[in-house]
Amino acid sequence: MISFDKVSKQYISGQYALAGVSFEIAKGQMAFVTGHSGAGKSTLLKLILATEKCSSGNVVVNGTDLNHIPRREIPSFRRRIGMVFQDHQLLNDRSVADNVALPLDISGFSRRDALRRVRAALDKVGLLSKEKQFPAALSGGEQQRVGIARAVVNRPSIILADEPTGNLDPELSMETMEVFEQFKNVGVSLLIASHDISLINRMEYRTLILKGGTLIDDTGLGELS
Amino acid sequence: MSDKASSKRRHENPSNFIKLLRSHRKDALKSLTRMFFSPLSSTMTVIVIAAALLLPSLLFAFNTNITALLGEFQNNARIVLYLTRDTSDTQALQVSNNLLTSSVIDSVDFISNEEALLSFSDAAGFSQIVADFDANPLPASIVITPNLAGLAGLDQLAASLDQMPEVELVQVDSLWLRRLAAISELIGLAARVLGLIVLLSLCFIIGNTVRSHIENRRDEIKIIKLFGGTHSYIARPFLYTGLFYGLLGGLLASLLQALIFLSFRDPLNEIFSLYDSSFTLPLLAPAMLITLAFSGASIGWLAAIISAYRYVNAIIT
Repeated sequence: MISFDKVSKQYISGQYALAGVSFEIAKGQMAFVTGHSGAGKSTLLKLILATEKCSSGNVVVNGTDLNHIPRREIPSFRRRIGMVFQDHQLLNDRSVADNVALPLDISGFSRRDALRRVRAALDKVGLLSKEKQFPAALSGGEQQRVGIARAVVNRPSIILADEPTGNLDPELSMETMEVFEQFKNVGVSLLIASHDISLINRMEYRTLILKGGTLIDDTGLGELS
Repeated sequence: MSDKASSKRRHENPSNFIKLLRSHRKDALKSLTRMFFSPLSSTMTVIVIAAALLLPSLLFAFNTNITALLGEFQNNARIVLYLTRDTSDTQALQVSNNLLTSSVIDSVDFISNEEALLSFSDAAGFSQIVADFDANPLPASIVITPNLAGLAGLDQLAASLDQMPEVELVQVDSLWLRRLAAISELIGLAARVLGLIVLLSLCFIIGNTVRSHIENRRDEIKIIKLFGGTHSYIARPFLYTGLFYGLLGGLLASLLQALIFLSFRDPLNEIFSLYDSSFTLPLLAPAMLITLAFSGASIGWLAAIISAYRYVNAIIT
């Protein structure tokens, strides 16, 4: 599903955001990637989403070698990945249902089919009753769940989440993780970037620990300090 | 499999073409809705486009009508052959008959020197002076109505008639027609140059409007790109925005031009009738309306393509 082989990312300034990182995430596997600010978590997600290219090494996602992906094929590649952002990135002039429908709209679904899938996704995150509301009327936790519904509505094979619990209280954070687990159980691979150590410890999933762009630990379970 | 089942399957798995049509319909509606929700700026933009289109369009229409008028005057042009003094009336009539056999001559009218003198005497009120003449000073003449279009053909015919031994002088009353034709050509040239300037200006105006729409939706575009939106998916609503601005501007320009024509029609027709012309200024022709609307829409679409290509691609995710 996701394969990093000695991947490095060096910026024009000469600074390395990632240095020789290697790991693999299998189908249906859920993993965290953690580390301090500037450790390279976001860069790692950007490389998987093909918003940036690595300087050296190989990144293969869903069988696609991202070092050699033609620019015109990047949109269709991204449609197979669901992304959850820390700041939700919802469109404030669209209703909850329209926000969740965005990936389906991009994929060319008819309004009727899209609505059916949107309702199913909103039901899964417990927000079906709020489909007609606008993001501004929702709490932070609800907005995050809308973001998750949007990420999963197109039935992606991979979900990437960048600090998905960054703005949530511990209870909502656990609820969000439970939603992610549901997708893991149906074969979706998840990579969650987070610096919430206590949450990662509670979840007991594989954790990649980055420090200064280097992968310093790839534990099977949590128990981080 | 029954037709009903097959129809249901088609509905659930539409072809890419149907998907594309749906997408275009939705984007067009989205674009119109956005324009509708910013009525002031949309109206201002449409008015600016209409004003820009109106000027060259009026010049084109003016030139077209002058050309039509010129054609009518050319059809009414006459060539007068003044005959030599030693040409008898019998010879002159023979010449007239010979001229009538030519395909480029519609009719001929022989005026003997006596008829010319009588006409001069009656028309000018010089009967006393004419009575004092020892001999008739006026020559016989043949007035020819040519069956030709264009001043060049008229000149060619006059030159060939001038070669006839019975002809002393050929007079073609075409100087003012030439002046009018030159003015018409100048107006046509001005309209073309102005049209080009307006084309560039409209590209800039519409392109800038589309750029501003793109900038206003920069965050949305970034998110759409992250979820796999293609350039065409992102740009399409903006292309429709350009198209609608141009189309509405073209239609408004047509309406304004029709109103201008309507207000000028009666006074101009009065002038034409004073010149014994049957020409009347037409109201705006449907072809002109379609041309204006189509031109506006095309320029809008083109400007939007350029702007969207440039600014959507510049938004990096």
